[in-house]
Amino acid sequence: MSAFEKPQIISHIQKGLNYTVFDCKWVPCSAKFVTMGNFARGTGVIQLYEIQHGDLKLLREIEKAKPIKCGTFGATSLQQRYLATGDFAGNLHIWNLEAPEIPVYSVKGHKEIINTIDGVGGLGIGEGAPEIVTGSRDGTVKVWDPRQKDDPVANMEPVQGENKRDCWTVAFGNAYNQEERVVCAGYDNGDIKLFDLRNMSLRWETNIKNGVCSLEFDRKDISMNKLVATSLEGKFHVFDMRTQHPTKGFASVSEKAHKSTVWQVRHLPQNRELFLTAGGAGSLHLWKYEYPIQRSKKDSEGVEMGVAGSVSLLQNVTLSTQPISSLDWSPDKRGLCICSSFDQMAERTTLYRSEAAPHLGPL
Amino acid sequence: MTRRWKGRARGTLGTRGAAAGPDPEGLALGNPGFPSNRAGACPKQPNPRLLPPPEMPLQVSDYTWQQTKTSVFISVPLRGVSVRDADVFCTENYLKVNFPPFLFEVFLCAPIDDENSKAKIGNDTIIFTLYKKEVAMWETLSLSGVDKEMMQRIREKSILQAQERAKEATEAKAAARREDQKYALNVMMQIEEEERKKIEDMKENERMKATKELEAWKECQRKAEEQKRIHREEKFCEQEKQIEDERKKLKHKSHTRISASRNLATKGRNSENIFLEKLKENSIPAPRSVGSIKINFTPRVFPTALRESQVAEEEEWLHKQAEARRALNTDIPELSDLKEEEKNPEWLKDKGNKLFATENYLAAINAYNLAIRLNNKIPLLYLNRAACHLKLKNLHKAIEDSSKALELLTPPVADNANGRMKAHIRRGTAFCQLELYVEGLQDYEAALKIDPSNEIVQNDAEKIRNIIQGTELKS
Repeated sequence: MSAFEKPQIISHIQKGLNYTVFDCKWVPCSAKFVTMGNFARGTGVIQLYEIQHGDLKLLREIEKAKPIKCGTFGATSLQQRYLATGDFAGNLHIWNLEAPEIPVYSVKGHKEIINTIDGVGGLGIGEGAPEIVTGSRDGTVKVWDPRQKDDPVANMEPVQGENKRDCWTVAFGNAYNQEERVVCAGYDNGDIKLFDLRNMSLRWETNIKNGVCSLEFDRKDISMNKLVATSLEGKFHVFDMRTQHPTKGFASVSEKAHKSTVWQVRHLPQNRELFLTAGGAGSLHLWKYEYPIQRSKKDSEGVEMGVAGSVSLLQNVTLSTQPISSLDWSPDKRGLCICSSFDQMAERTTLYRSEAAPHLGPL
Repeated sequence: MTRRWKGRARGTLGTRGAAAGPDPEGLALGNPGFPSNRAGACPKQPNPRLLPPPEMPLQVSDYTWQQTKTSVFISVPLRGVSVRDADVFCTENYLKVNFPPFLFEVFLCAPIDDENSKAKIGNDTIIFTLYKKEVAMWETLSLSGVDKEMMQRIREKSILQAQERAKEATEAKAAARREDQKYALNVMMQIEEEERKKIEDMKENERMKATKELEAWKECQRKAEEQKRIHREEKFCEQEKQIEDERKKLKHKSHTRISASRNLATKGRNSENIFLEKLKENSIPAPRSVGSIKINFTPRVFPTALRESQVAEEEEWLHKQAEARRALNTDIPELSDLKEEEKNPEWLKDKGNKLFATENYLAAINAYNLAIRLNNKIPLLYLNRAACHLKLKNLHKAIEDSSKALELLTPPVADNANGRMKAHIRRGTAFCQLELYVEGLQDYEAALKIDPSNEIVQNDAEKIRNIIQGTELKS
């Protein structure tokens, strides 16, 4: 049966929620996940669910004053598992889900809504200090260290007098030793900027002609390998980050899919060549990246430049009629992921891989 | 019981090979009541079913016939005319064969079952096997006492009958075809259903498997947690003890230097390792020193996000705006009397707005008029003048100005959405006040398309709809 040689996407559980959910994340090393959003009455909510015997059980519901837009477990240790969230008023909080009344860390980071958040250095992944980066509608990207109160350790802001643009997405990468780290930020005017935190400088920027909805490196804790940027108008770009050309930047391949905004991209933690994109029409597409024969070549002046590979669609499925706003792979169980969409549903889907599918990927 | 004519064998009648040749003289003589002497009388009315023959067809009279209780056999000689040219027409009461230049027709005595009757053409004869509807022996083959009129009527009736039957036949065939198609479709659907079910079942199995694995893994996790905790506690106690021992040993270092140092070396390494482990947990670097990076954005005029498909339209709009600002109509004689600021359309627009706010509509219109004379490409001027006209009930002028504003507000981009919506609303209001409700509704619906969440516009559109449907008095 040729249909089963491709990985299948099977939906396990669907659960309707009575609030708008913006983000969902697995709690590391467990079969639990959190969903974050806002109630119709204008307050924020965090819910903690556990998967029990094929169904979702609500363990805890935490209500907060302001709606919560995004969250991450990226910067906490495996023992503590604190959740860092950004809310509509620009506050960054870190919560202990066992005792959520008072945040462990709190700062009014931005003047406007925090659109996006990412964490690195925790969970036993990578090296270096745990840090959280937030991007906001006020056009700034700030990096925070939970040990330093009130002030960010890095601030990427527009030059005086520059019209600000919304920052829609941020991602950490290149954290392969204690010093190196980069932050990549995507804005609504199509800008992608790569900041090097060790040198405190702008390492690379480009514009992909459509507002950038989501960015992710294939792995945060290795030397930069690939970066996927998704945008409005159903496009996404895969950049090969190994070779940077002084003028041309990084090589990329782009693909059009979903027929509408591609809201999210997430790489499979167990295989960095596979990634899942979530679209505005409620569909999920599973892609595979294939490396070119030679990852770099010399241009006419003998300067090294990268060569982009190719992307192929493995499978797709439509789960909803509303956009799928967020997506997260389980770091523990291969192929299990959770996604949430604006029709107030949280869903747990799994990838079924048949044994016939070959295993690949270099290194 | 078969009536035999002139010893003709019964068996041979139905077969093709029989009747090597008709026996015109012999058989014809034996037929009573047979209108054989009509050789001269050809049917004057042409046969409507076929092309009229070039000359009058000749009646065939030397046919033979036989009968049993249930059937009639007629044998008609073809006289050398090729088989292809023979055309047979048969209904319940009427039988005709047309093979130019000959014509054979007979008005049957009693009705026959023409659907099952057969005709065999071959060997220079046509042999008809007609099955009677009623079991009876016929006195004669054809009706007696038929006159021309009756013949014609019977002919026409027969033709109609034949046509009806043909229609029924096609309908029956179509119905049968539809049935077959439906059946085929059903079978297809069943097959697909089974396929789908198979896939669903496989997915279900996967789901069960995954759930079970997850539960098992959770159990594992929990046990591992427990063990780890116990282990850690044990190790901690051990570590503490070891550290105590080390400290004591260090104090006695001076005594048993060499041996102790060797012991120390190994033990030291152990403690070092333990220390290292502990240190690693605390070896996360200090927070990095504060830094800031200043960035520039790719310039973009509109506050909305960049979309590739909108770029061309946005460019056009910006271009138009820029042009509008530049266009200045300077050769008006009265201009020389005006002060410097009054020559600036922007300033005049602001003046007009202020006058509008204080309800001085005529003056506002004057200000806008002058501004438009200076620069007639700014849509906002027309928009605001339309509002003034609306207040003064100059409805036609209001419509004109709103339309002009809409013209200038192309191409439609997010930037001029507000302006376009206002223009539609103003024009819609003017139409309604002129009682042109249909046009008004069109404008309101256009406004709603731009901003579907505007409740006032929604309510007004509802009201207009009701007025058009005549269910509510104008409020």
